[in-house]
Amino acid sequence: MQTLSFQFSAGHPAQGRALVGCVGSGDLEVMLEPGTSGTLAIAVVTSVNGGEQRWQQLFQRMFSDQQMPALNITIHDFGATPGVVRLRMEQALEELSHV
Amino acid sequence: MTRSLSQPKPQGYLPHDLLWGFTSAYLPADAPAWVVSALAERPPVVVRRAVGRPGWIAVGVRGKQRDQRFAGWMPVLAVSHCVRPEQLVHSQGWQSLAEADYPVIQALKRVAPVLHQSDWRWGVTGSLGFQLASGIKVIHPASDLDLLLRAPTPLSRLQAQHLLAQMSDVPAAVDVQVQCPHGAVALREWACSTARVLLKSQSGPLLVSDPWAQEAVVA
Repeated sequence: MQTLSFQFSAGHPAQGRALVGCVGSGDLEVMLEPGTSGTLAIAVVTSVNGGEQRWQQLFQRMFSDQQMPALNITIHDFGATPGVVRLRMEQALEELSHV
Repeated sequence: MTRSLSQPKPQGYLPHDLLWGFTSAYLPADAPAWVVSALAERPPVVVRRAVGRPGWIAVGVRGKQRDQRFAGWMPVLAVSHCVRPEQLVHSQGWQSLAEADYPVIQALKRVAPVLHQSDWRWGVTGSLGFQLASGIKVIHPASDLDLLLRAPTPLSRLQAQHLLAQMSDVPAAVDVQVQCPHGAVALREWACSTARVLLKSQSGPLLVSDPWAQEAVVA
């Protein structure tokens, strides 16, 4: 198990919280909470070692075409593929907007 | 060892089916060394959820370590035996395992009556399914219980919640995948209130609001 930290620039803090995903192999759990204005902070707890570069690139691609709200994101990863990570993030943001 | 005499028709293999007949001859040249040594035991391989070329099946080879999984391709004609997860339920092989005191077995003994009473066919997958089918020891004291529930017709969110409630408070983590016509969804997720859920379809993961809807997958 290792914890990776990432920071990106963001807009205003989000309203509400969201929790999506599953604790199980090939999947991940994503928790969103309001963050500090201007900052998107992500902590990834993962069972797969040595993936820092991979996560960094994945997040960069994900956030390049949208202004994200300020959030604290906690991810528990159980070896999810990039496709699953992307969908779970999309789902979590969707749940946030439903609050 | 559980082996079926009845063979599903070619093309009829489903994700989680265990197939015998895969050898290192079907590995690419750059396959890791652990895959070759794992295959020396002549283990079954697990059918993966992936679209294959005609005549080929997407399979996974299991290694000794948890993160050792190798994705390969097997010719349909090479399959000598097939064991489906639900066949392992009929044979109830867990009643006679040496590891009877492991939490994963204790958990299965508790949830089996619940699932028997449900209207759905179900099966054992994951490490326990592999061990029950092959006799190769892979379960350990911290193993999860992986199950499959076949739901060709819709299972309501309420039914999912009801099933989950009956399976709570067991000694191992239980992961039930509900197999719908076009993919699988986690029972635990379907029982929650999220607007959309993750469907693991043949062509990759998708977010859908109704896992039983055909248009969800074609869209």
